[in-house]
Amino acid sequence: MSLEIAIHEQSCRGCELCIDICPTKVFELDEEKRLCAVKHADDCIACLSCAYICPSNAITHTDYHAVKNFYRDAEFCQRMGKFL
Amino acid sequence: METSQQRLALQDAMVFLGAIASGTEQAIGESANSISYLAGVNLGKKMSAGVPQTSDILEALDSTRKVLEKNDYLWLFEAFKTHDQETVVQEDDEGTHVMLVFRDCMIRQSLFRFGHTQKGSLCNMMYGFFAGALQNIMGQESSLEIVHAGENACYKKLTIRRAS
Repeated sequence: MSLEIAIHEQSCRGCELCIDICPTKVFELDEEKRLCAVKHADDCIACLSCAYICPSNAITHTDYHAVKNFYRDAEFCQRMGKFL
Repeated sequence: METSQQRLALQDAMVFLGAIASGTEQAIGESANSISYLAGVNLGKKMSAGVPQTSDILEALDSTRKVLEKNDYLWLFEAFKTHDQETVVQEDDEGTHVMLVFRDCMIRQSLFRFGHTQKGSLCNMMYGFFAGALQNIMGQESSLEIVHAGENACYKKLTIRRAS
């Protein structure tokens, strides 16, 4: 799985919230365009905090591991049987 | 137990877990973190009993991962390094540290499902688990600092403290 992260340039307002929240400093401000840009995509841990916090919903991730909804996952429920 | 019943039972267990943690935090404040931490330490020590000792942090993490997998605990993690780090294992004045990414986590799911905040007593239980397990496996004190608690993954700094 090779994670990809993209910022929709026309949606980005350069508020820098993604820069502030990212724990691994994936983003940088493009001073010329006054927009946020993906600088180190390899450092992204897919916590998705940037996508959640972006007011204009400009950030998208693809090919990432989405966490399991444990209580809906039949296989996981079976594995958890011994704890219940 | 049938799967549908297991699902319901699991959901009930998650409600209970979240409510207990949230209620304890409200009732006794900061002490809730210490209690959960100690519960985690006990769990970590108990589950890692008999695991061969090592002084290599990556080997110790591998053993911890195997302990979790063997017991069907979905607290799986991976060591992570950013582009500016040369190696996964870093040394500083405090000791040896490794950055860890936690993806599937039953605690996070429970907290989000029922609207509780992260970095509370349940997260401290995981910190305790690692401290207990690594005390058994490496014979050293450790800490697991939550650098970032995200919606889909958490980023933590594991420090094995230098013996003084």
